[in-house]
Amino acid sequence: MLDLIFSPDFFFAVLRITAPILFATLGAVVGEKAGVSNIGLEGTMMISALFGSLVSYWTGSWAAGLLVAVLIGILTSLLMGFFAFILKTDIILTGIAVNMIGSGGTLFLVKVITNITEGTALASTTSLITTANQIPSWNIPIIKDIPILGEILSGHCILTYIAFLMVFLTWVLLYKTPLGLNIRSVGENPNAASSVGVSVLKIKYIAIAFSGAMAGFGGAFMSMYYAMGWSLDMVAGRGFIALAAQAMGAGEPVGSMISALIFGTAQALSIKVSSKGIDSNLVTPIPYIVTIIGLVIFAVIVRRRVKRQHSAAALKESAK
Amino acid sequence: MAEEYAVQMKGITKVYPNGIAANQNVDFFVKKGEIHALMGENGAGKSTLVKMLFGLEQPTSGEIIVNGKKLNLSSPNVAIANGIGMVHQHFMLVPSLTVAENMVLGMVPKKSGLFIDRKKAVEITEEFSKKFNLPVDPNAKVMDIPVGMKQKVEILKALVRGAKILILDEPTAVLTTQETAELFKELINLKNQGYTIIFISHKLNEIMQITDRMTILRSGHSMGVYNTSDVTPEKISRLMVGRDVVLKVQKERAKPGEEVLRVRDLEYVNEWGKKMLDKVSFSVRRGEILGIAGVESNGQKELVDMLFNLNTPNAGTVTVNGESILGLSQRKIRSKGVSLVPEDRMLYGIAGAASIQENLISDRCGDKKLNKGLLFDMKKIREEADQLIDEYTVLCKSQNQRVDNLSGGNIQKVVVAREFSNNPSLIIADQPTRGIDVGAEEFIHNKLVELSRSGIAVLLVSADLNEVMELSDSLIVMYGGRICAYFEDTSELNDEIMGEYMLGLKEQSPEQIRRVCHE
Amino acid sequence: MNKKRKMIFSLVRGLTAILIALLVAALLIFVSANGDGIAEKLSQTGGAMKKLLLGPLLKNKGGISVKNISDVFAAMIPIIFTGLGTCVMFSANQFNLGTEGGVMLGAFVAALVAIYCPLPPVVLPVVAILLGAIAVGITMLIPAVLKARLGVSEMVNSLMLNYVIMYFIKYLLNSHLADKSKGQIMTYEIQPHAALPQLINNGSKLSWGFVVALIFVVLVALFMYRTRWGYAIRMIGINKDFAMYSGMKVGAIIILSQVIGGLLAGMGGGIEMLGRYNTFNWTGLPGYGWTGITVAILAGNNPLFVPLAAFFMSYLNKGCSLMSTYCGVPAQLIDILQAVIFVFFAAEQFLSGYRQKLVVKSTQEELSRIAEQEAAASKVEVK
Repeated sequence: MLDLIFSPDFFFAVLRITAPILFATLGAVVGEKAGVSNIGLEGTMMISALFGSLVSYWTGSWAAGLLVAVLIGILTSLLMGFFAFILKTDIILTGIAVNMIGSGGTLFLVKVITNITEGTALASTTSLITTANQIPSWNIPIIKDIPILGEILSGHCILTYIAFLMVFLTWVLLYKTPLGLNIRSVGENPNAASSVGVSVLKIKYIAIAFSGAMAGFGGAFMSMYYAMGWSLDMVAGRGFIALAAQAMGAGEPVGSMISALIFGTAQALSIKVSSKGIDSNLVTPIPYIVTIIGLVIFAVIVRRRVKRQHSAAALKESAK
Repeated sequence: MAEEYAVQMKGITKVYPNGIAANQNVDFFVKKGEIHALMGENGAGKSTLVKMLFGLEQPTSGEIIVNGKKLNLSSPNVAIANGIGMVHQHFMLVPSLTVAENMVLGMVPKKSGLFIDRKKAVEITEEFSKKFNLPVDPNAKVMDIPVGMKQKVEILKALVRGAKILILDEPTAVLTTQETAELFKELINLKNQGYTIIFISHKLNEIMQITDRMTILRSGHSMGVYNTSDVTPEKISRLMVGRDVVLKVQKERAKPGEEVLRVRDLEYVNEWGKKMLDKVSFSVRRGEILGIAGVESNGQKELVDMLFNLNTPNAGTVTVNGESILGLSQRKIRSKGVSLVPEDRMLYGIAGAASIQENLISDRCGDKKLNKGLLFDMKKIREEADQLIDEYTVLCKSQNQRVDNLSGGNIQKVVVAREFSNNPSLIIADQPTRGIDVGAEEFIHNKLVELSRSGIAVLLVSADLNEVMELSDSLIVMYGGRICAYFEDTSELNDEIMGEYMLGLKEQSPEQIRRVCHE
Repeated sequence: MNKKRKMIFSLVRGLTAILIALLVAALLIFVSANGDGIAEKLSQTGGAMKKLLLGPLLKNKGGISVKNISDVFAAMIPIIFTGLGTCVMFSANQFNLGTEGGVMLGAFVAALVAIYCPLPPVVLPVVAILLGAIAVGITMLIPAVLKARLGVSEMVNSLMLNYVIMYFIKYLLNSHLADKSKGQIMTYEIQPHAALPQLINNGSKLSWGFVVALIFVVLVALFMYRTRWGYAIRMIGINKDFAMYSGMKVGAIIILSQVIGGLLAGMGGGIEMLGRYNTFNWTGLPGYGWTGITVAILAGNNPLFVPLAAFFMSYLNKGCSLMSTYCGVPAQLIDILQAVIFVFFAAEQFLSGYRQKLVVKSTQEELSRIAEQEAAASKVEVK
């Protein structure tokens, strides 16, 4: 059992499964840094996944599909932003609305669109996506020949590499660029930012567009690589898990990546276990349970740390 | 000649979405190179007026002309581009960023076209710091620097953006006397370099000291423009409040009874390791008003928080009528007869979107009197609310009106009505009349005296020297988290003596202070 | 603003939101219409819109359709309950989105009791529904206690719980409880006397549950506006710090609100189960939770408006499904309509310019009235 789990194959799966969660997590991280809680990531991923798969089928080009998925993600988020920032709909309710469209609404869209283009109303696009318009994988030169490590790291979908590269890029964005400075100040003290002429609105739009783009990548990964075609509820809570990963990573790119990896591992584990003949319904919820437990542990740790710091500060002061 | 004016705001009216008319047909003209005071009580409309000048709010009607150019100030960007800078009352700084980063926020110098040039940011900060003689530490994080330096950063921020007109919104409220003196020197220095300064304050002595002219606002209307040299402080105060500010509260001598509140050796170190309360001990007895005076941020807020379990002390004891209340829930603390008029009434005092009635019963919603079995007795609740509204002269259309539609003074009356009417044995009144109209203030003062004379212990915390001296029977002064003086009888006190203690220039001996424990 | 102006504003605002949603619907139908040429497409769109708007009232051949209308009422039952539950939780500012899983769990537990418990008539459905409700109430303790004690987001936790509940039920159904003699995965049939009696026997499944739902509307409204606990829930929702300072048990009330939300969702699930089905065969989350959230938002978190909002959503839903049957427009159009109406209703600043105009007008009237009074008073003095 253990050797089956801790095989290169397993760790390969962990990275593959983490990638879409990681994209959404980075979206949540940047949004939250600007004070925008994007709970519509789930729905945005669904919408992007649908259009990505359709466009890649129509054009025969995965690149075009990916591009459209990202653009649709950005557009959806900007629309959310319009409602949340301009019309002052609670950002959480805006997210819920996007998630409504992401579930039933996408089914409506896929039926209507395929009815026009294909002549029959399809309920999924799995019959349309073939390996020809799947997002390609990449064998990394040199590394692919290293035993074990090569098996784990090489041969992934290019989006998997982009996902992990994005962790670094997000960190650079937040901490090394003027835009990042603006994002952080808008999230921490919007009045301060606006008082020096930083447009809070613009920065929030940029942040939510970024998180939409990430959801777009994640959606494209799901429908154009992971599941080979769009089907209803295929994102299955990954957008929500991303919110938990963001919280557990204390809102920092690297920490959130680690949390995303934990969820990825839980899911890879559940897939492994169910392949051993155990009812999948018993193991599929593992990542969701891990998320709840993870949030609890994180909350307890934070509480303790605050308490300890406080008493340490008191000790230091009384020692003076 | 129009060019003589830096700012001309003509016929400004501002109605907020909640229907409050903050400014009505106000004219505000500021000459180039002068220090111009904008005066008025809290709620007179000063902040609203300058917010419109800085583009944070837009006037409902009226026009704004800056340096002869009519402007549509749709955002602070427009204001900044036209050479207007503002130093806000609550600092507009991002705590986790460094001074230099805060300085360049919104105009960040770049290297390689993409990244923040931190070195350049520090250079800019140092250059301006030297040029205007406003010393700051560019590399320190804003959360770690003292208040006075934060203000310097704010002024530099405006200057580095090319501001020629500086708006300072109550800049001295948070400063010590030395820091205030320093600030005034800096402001006069700026004025001599040709800068125009709009100075918002309600402190008469400051205005007399540094301004050239002043505009006085009263409840949204302009009361006229005056040369500082032409008016007396008495006249200004009359224009501001319509009568003499010096209030005299009529009260009999206190006949203190047994001890109600007993605080001993209370200590608190905040999360940044700063000692906010240092061995604070005192007692409050039945039938007396004990005042706590002091410049704000000297531990008063922390003390009150400890007494109502809004924060936890590191050491010490607090008892009410002999029973410890430390760590008890607010419900239990209240059941021991403690009432609190909180400093921040919008944060703790009311639920804004709820009705007046709902706000009046929040502490007694579980009382047998107001319930019939599982359900509320609506008749009793309405009666209770009507009676309180009546007794405390809350001006409203009906008890079902939203409480946040009332004026500040009436909101405070709602809070006070609730807190004074639940049979307390101890009332903690924290800044009970801050920012409210004179009528409400007088009402609350009289009520406090009346209640104390009926045998309730009152702890009055106030940064308003006038209030705390007039109202208290005896008085302690807090400075740097410690009690630095105790005066058994307030009638022999004057401002100068108090000032010396409040600013930490003097401290009584431990024995003298210990008398407040009545042991 | 005075009351009349406020009402006018709310009305205009609500109608505009609905109008926008219908325009979006027309646009989508137009795009999806099969016809060649704009004229044909337009006429198809018109037909579909007519079906959407009037279908739930009319028979195919004209005349009022009792069946359609009773269908609409029947479909209101579960969403009244989820709507009420959401009202209670959202009033306390608790964004618990677990009614979705709650309905499923409530239905499942009620079904199990109805199948296996040897209880007499009348008692059996009541016990089944109550146990379903209690099971969900207890489940909601998880996000509620974690929120109240540790500050963990109830929103993320309740979403996760939805999935856990769904898979858990599917597992039990698959592995242990399924009636193996059936082709599909479903439980054994419930005992006949567990089924709720119907109000109309026309296949609409409009059961007595509808009456129970309306009773609960009144009970929840009473609870929210006439008891100290409902009062505390609302105060916490408006200002938590104020509630704590006033001596309310904030943590306990936060837990209470979510448990009540769970109880109501579970009850809705149980009633839906026993009123509509004779075997439990749900393989996924039913969607009543999300619709319940929309209902709560449309009702402005006021329980008394929940039936109205539920009727509206249910009517639209019926319209969509009729449109799908007769005009070939996919029924999931409802999800898009729902989302559009939802965001506009929740949009504070929607038509704010219009409101500001009304406010300014009111204030000016007020000011001139005061001025007049003052003028009159000074005249009297002069005299």
